[in-house]
Amino acid sequence: MNDKSTWEFGTRQVVYGAIGAALYGVFSWATNIFPLPAAGNVTFRPAVAVLIFFASAYGPWVGLLAGFIGNTLGDALSGWGFYWHWSLGNGLMGLVAGLVMASIKDFRARGDIMKAVGYGVAGIAVGMLFASLTEMFMGGIDLNTALFGYFTPAFLGNTVVTVILLPVLMIAFAAVASRRGR
Amino acid sequence: MLVTWKYRLRDTFIQRLDPRTRLIFLFSIIFALTIPEIWDLRIILPIFAISLTLYFMARIEWKDVKRGWAFILVFVIFIVGINGVLSGRGGPSSVTNIESPILFYVPVLDWFGWMVPITVSKLWFALNQIIRMLTMAILAIPIPYTMDPNIYGTAFKRMGASDNVSFTMDLAFRFLPTFARDFTITVDAQRARGYEMESLKGGLVERIRRLSPLIIPVVMQSTVTGEEVIDAMDLRAFGTSKRTWIKTLTYAPRDYFMLGLGAAIFISCCVLKWGFGIGGFFVPDFFTNLFV
Repeated sequence: MNDKSTWEFGTRQVVYGAIGAALYGVFSWATNIFPLPAAGNVTFRPAVAVLIFFASAYGPWVGLLAGFIGNTLGDALSGWGFYWHWSLGNGLMGLVAGLVMASIKDFRARGDIMKAVGYGVAGIAVGMLFASLTEMFMGGIDLNTALFGYFTPAFLGNTVVTVILLPVLMIAFAAVASRRGR
Repeated sequence: MLVTWKYRLRDTFIQRLDPRTRLIFLFSIIFALTIPEIWDLRIILPIFAISLTLYFMARIEWKDVKRGWAFILVFVIFIVGINGVLSGRGGPSSVTNIESPILFYVPVLDWFGWMVPITVSKLWFALNQIIRMLTMAILAIPIPYTMDPNIYGTAFKRMGASDNVSFTMDLAFRFLPTFARDFTITVDAQRARGYEMESLKGGLVERIRRLSPLIIPVVMQSTVTGEEVIDAMDLRAFGTSKRTWIKTLTYAPRDYFMLGLGAAIFISCCVLKWGFGIGGFFVPDFFTNLFV
């Protein structure tokens, strides 16, 4: 289904990195327009599942670029500014999730889907932890606020969305890819 | 529903600056405040004034920016400011270590009798923290409004990013309106089939799952589009040699001025803190006298 060279960075990665970023930006913006109700400061961003899907399907470079550029685009569309550490955190989320690419053989197989979700959750943990801890240096917040005010809501919201939507995206992708023949 | 860039062409000093200058200046201010850990309002306030001046020079209308400001202010005042007043942690340890008059107690966990003392020191720290964060945010907010989306790729390329990374950025900005249009068409098509977007019913899982009819068609169509773009780029030998870029960027004297100002602020903060020991946290007498 894909070239399995995990760290290859050619035309395919450039194009799907750009597509992933644009979709991440559009869906992030759409979530701002139609927010999903949630408890406290937990927000659910369906765009994260799309980012994890692109990373799982096309590798870590695509995940990194789609996360970094996509978050920048989403913030630009929403008019919130440019926050490099949150963009980089989103990039790391995609990078770690993309490490699963080489081990996915069948996007419909339950085992492969579980693996992708597992790497996705690990990616969310790494990316959001990076962004939250960087906020300590940027904003001078303490570790408790970074962990419970920033990391936990972001981690929970993104994980719930990924667990629900990533399998649906993977199964749909398997059907499209088999029809396309590559 | 229409995706539009916040960017508008305005004939301002800020928009005449090279985009690289603006990004480098933003990082200069962030690093000036964070690397030497500046917590002295005598240093922070002048930098805040420079940021505020640049913000007003961008001449962004309030109606455009009020949503962004609401987000930033809630974030800074409620999450960061209140946390600063209550805990006093996150900045230098001297906030909670120094002797400071207690103003009142806040019952946080009343059942356990946990009363958090609010001191003059914590109050001053929260004020410092809010102004310090706003100094950086004020420079970040105008970027989407004043920097041409078509120039991001070129700017990153000229700042040292590889051709592939820069082209990914350039391409993402070009794809965005197309996918936004696809998303709008999908939403309309699903609505025509009876999909109720405004009233997603059911529990949390069900509500998220019901977003699938909006997300899946757009994402799957984009993967097909991607293959066509890859073929087109491969046929044009993308990636076989170094690329040239249509848009060129050149620094003007105003850019050198801003870059010099950014460097001067960064160096001054480092020298003041590490050379003269100025810039650490302290509570000025006048502030203590206001309460005691």
